[in-house]
Amino acid sequence: MLSTLIWMPMLGALIVGFLPGNLTASRLRFIALAIASLILLITIGLLSQFDLTASGLQFQESLPWIPHLGLNYQLGIDGLSLPLLALSSLLTWIAIYGSHEVERSRIYYALILFVNAAVAGAFVSQNLLLFVIFYELELIPLYLLINIWGGPKRGYAATKFLIYTALSGVLILAAFLGMTWLSNSTSFDYEAIITQGLPLREQLILLTMLLVGFGIKIPLVPLHTWLPDAYTEASPPVAILLGGVLAKLGTYGLIRFGLGLFPETWGIVAPGLAIIGTISVLYGALSAIAQKDIKRMVAYSSIGHMGYILLGGAAANSLSLVGTISQMVAHGLILALLFHLVGVIESKVGTRELDILNGLLNPIRGLPLITSLLILAGMASAGIPGLVGFISEFIVFQGSFPVFPLQTILCVVGTGLTAVYFVILLNRTCFGKLDNYQAYYPKVTSQERLPALVLAAIIFILGVQPNWLVRWSETTSTTLIAAVTINQQVAINPPPSTDN
Amino acid sequence: MTTATATKLPPSQHEFAEVIHRLEAGGAMLPDTPENLMQIIGIYKAYAVPMDFYWRDLLYIAERVFLNPLPFFKYFLPKEYLELHNHYAGDDADLRIWQKGEATAHPELLAFMEKGETFKMPKLLHHLWHDRVNMEFAEACMQAMLWHGRDMGWGKFDAYLDTPEYKAAADRAIKAYFKGNPLMLGLYKLFPEMFIEQVRQLSYYSNLGLFWEVMAPVFFEMSDLYDSGGIKSVPDAMNFLVNGIFAVAGRPIYHHVYIGGEMYEIIPKSCGFTWLYEAALPYVEAVFYRTAPFRGTKSYNAQVKQIPDEQKDFHYGILYADVFPVGTAGIPPTLLMQDMLHFLPPYLVDYYRQHCRGEDDALIQLGITFQRSMYCVTSAVIQALRGALLYPLDDPNPKHLQANRDFFEKQIDRFRRPEARLRDIQSQNYR
Amino acid sequence: MADIVDIAVTADNFKTLVAAVQAAGLVDTLKSPGPFTVFAPTDEAFAQLPPGTIHTLLQNIPQLARILTYHVVPGKLMAADIAKLDSLTSVEGSPIRVSTADGFEVKNATVLAPDIEADNGVIHVINRVILMG
Repeated sequence: MLSTLIWMPMLGALIVGFLPGNLTASRLRFIALAIASLILLITIGLLSQFDLTASGLQFQESLPWIPHLGLNYQLGIDGLSLPLLALSSLLTWIAIYGSHEVERSRIYYALILFVNAAVAGAFVSQNLLLFVIFYELELIPLYLLINIWGGPKRGYAATKFLIYTALSGVLILAAFLGMTWLSNSTSFDYEAIITQGLPLREQLILLTMLLVGFGIKIPLVPLHTWLPDAYTEASPPVAILLGGVLAKLGTYGLIRFGLGLFPETWGIVAPGLAIIGTISVLYGALSAIAQKDIKRMVAYSSIGHMGYILLGGAAANSLSLVGTISQMVAHGLILALLFHLVGVIESKVGTRELDILNGLLNPIRGLPLITSLLILAGMASAGIPGLVGFISEFIVFQGSFPVFPLQTILCVVGTGLTAVYFVILLNRTCFGKLDNYQAYYPKVTSQERLPALVLAAIIFILGVQPNWLVRWSETTSTTLIAAVTINQQVAINPPPSTDN
Repeated sequence: MTTATATKLPPSQHEFAEVIHRLEAGGAMLPDTPENLMQIIGIYKAYAVPMDFYWRDLLYIAERVFLNPLPFFKYFLPKEYLELHNHYAGDDADLRIWQKGEATAHPELLAFMEKGETFKMPKLLHHLWHDRVNMEFAEACMQAMLWHGRDMGWGKFDAYLDTPEYKAAADRAIKAYFKGNPLMLGLYKLFPEMFIEQVRQLSYYSNLGLFWEVMAPVFFEMSDLYDSGGIKSVPDAMNFLVNGIFAVAGRPIYHHVYIGGEMYEIIPKSCGFTWLYEAALPYVEAVFYRTAPFRGTKSYNAQVKQIPDEQKDFHYGILYADVFPVGTAGIPPTLLMQDMLHFLPPYLVDYYRQHCRGEDDALIQLGITFQRSMYCVTSAVIQALRGALLYPLDDPNPKHLQANRDFFEKQIDRFRRPEARLRDIQSQNYR
Repeated sequence: MADIVDIAVTADNFKTLVAAVQAAGLVDTLKSPGPFTVFAPTDEAFAQLPPGTIHTLLQNIPQLARILTYHVVPGKLMAADIAKLDSLTSVEGSPIRVSTADGFEVKNATVLAPDIEADNGVIHVINRVILMG
């Protein structure tokens, strides 16, 4: 079943790319949407068949591929990757639905489906080399997606994105190679890698390379400088994919390969990670407050909210890890909603400048539903109870406070700052008086409304019934943490030495 | 017979020179296009139907409800007032302005009062659901006149309200109204000025009611003439208004109250108050130009004097309004716009469907049309004043023409400020 | 000599004015010793007003009286006297702007025939009905 999730979108991309005939943009969108719906259905099937109580990987598939390279086609899914896979399928569907009248639609939809395939492959790979292959596969399509369909500064933004992410790929590959060779394992299979035996210094070097590599992807401050431009210049559907899905590759990699493969040394780097997470939160929030472009504000908000994920990962207890995984999903949903709404506002009003936007809540000549949902998205991002943002942030804080109290408190302050810039955004954009001179905006179509309503509904439902979000990852986080605690204890209380 | 006056004087140097020249040629501030004409006539008719309710209810409140301390049913117009004969329509009119119409309430108004926007319900339910004519707008206009009353430089009505004769007449009426009510009479002894002030407000109710009693048939007649081809251009419409203003200028303004079957003259007709000086001109000044600051989604900074210190500098009337519905009474006329929405002639409904967001924002579109039409009315007032106080447009004496021009320029100067919509209405794209 | 009303009645072109004065009940006032200065609009002056104006005024005596009394100034002021003044106060109460700089003008009306003397005052014939404001 997992392979289908990789090969179906790839096949779909080929179909969309090479289907003969002079198909219109809307027809191509329909085909792509059909494929995305199929993917979504399979994902839902996967969710329904997932065993919540089993620890360890499920739906495993294993095929030898190039054994003498150590590359095996190993797939498997657990409570860490399943929610992210579901998020990816949903957001791909949303991104395709939200694209309309795109130029060069063939290649556009083909690239999106290809990215979906690569991301799915990365999430389910249980072989390090396979992971890197899928990780690198999504690079060029995203570069093209930003560069061809983006805003005025797209060339600059896309190139910066490419360079940064390529560098991250190189670092990750180097780390993986180091891990495999130094631990003398026969293949790159996840299960085969044991780093516990390695000297501490080597472990730390490898882990740091992983951290920097994935840190560029997440991104973490100070490796984040590619993000504001890339998110702002990308068209809204691409930005949804970038922020909602691709960023999660970074955090997923960090937990899966960082925490998962370096249980001994994770405890050593954790305080530093917690600090970096806190810095990200505060930096993202403070930068967002200073922005005058609403899309850029949302981009910085994304940086801020990724910091919570890192805090939860650093704390490394089962509650905080559940919070981390939930925040990955929540952040993806909320960011997708925000980018979509900001995209609609830009396309109707024609500007993204905070100084110019005003009074859009006007029921007759404004965008009442879109701005209402923007208020909801802002509330969700700021962690207002009743919406999913609160759930994930609260679990992260609850889990991290015993381990890193100061950093947690600072992150809570960051949540408060989120409210600050969202109030600024909403106050300027939604409230106030719409001016007669400017207010001849086209109507919002139901095609533009539907993705927003779907996302808002999910955000609300998961906020009110958080169990539906959290239960997937509970068993897995306990499993992941078990290895860390034992090894930490071993490291702290080494078994009595036998020499005497 | 008349030579074009524009050639006698050199061109004006005013910012709105084009408008000045148009006025000097006998036109209006609104450009003369068929689209403008259709819009304003349609909206006049849509305005006149609720106005028919307003003037009747205003008189009902001024004359019958009077000082009722708990006037819960003041908007429930009794049959007597629905059938009150308009003095300017019907067979027994003083001066029959509306040729084809009846003197009693307009049939469309009666149909709306039955059903509202929803369906036929008991009147109380319609009232509570606010599915009725928005009388609050009329009261807000009255309050604007009351509040700006003294400062306007037109007429003697407001000054009369402070005279001993007025106080004596009011005193008689108050005592008669509360005869046998020791509580209210006691309160009156304690706070006489409060009751007298209420009576002053009621006098303004009467003033506005008598003013609108005239305007409704005028607008109905204009709509009829347009339908039959009698009005072919915006200047035609304006001239009809000018003639109407003069024809009714001498109509008396009074305040009679009916208490216990007897009539008490708070302001008798013998005071000599005229429709033109004591009602129309104060109304235009108070409601078209001044009113009160926009309440709602906008806050004002007192330190930078965003609200003028002098009432005469207020610029919040319909001629300056940003016509977005904000739900409050007064200007911008949200409530009136909603009323007018119910009575639009079919050609206007079609017209609005074709522009902007179609039916969804017909409310704003018709509000802007209403603004255009009020500029036409103001032009008629300006031309009428010019006719009354200055010289004919084709006067051979250049000094007289210059006096006319100075008058026009001084009037148009009031529209130079950025909030004024004179600039916007010159273009057809302002919707 | 005749008084103001007699002069108006016997003259040819004050029919509307006389009718208005009679309707307003001002005949006795204008026959009283006074003296008064009356600015008398001709019939053509009244005809210049849009139709219906006089009709409405004739139905409403106090209002008509107000318009008429605006044309009357207490005292006997000849053209030479008026030349020294900028503004006169009418019986109605509102001011009347006068100017003799460029011909004898009373507000926006031109005096066609000044200084028609009567027993109880003087009449100046004007070519427009003057109004307050």
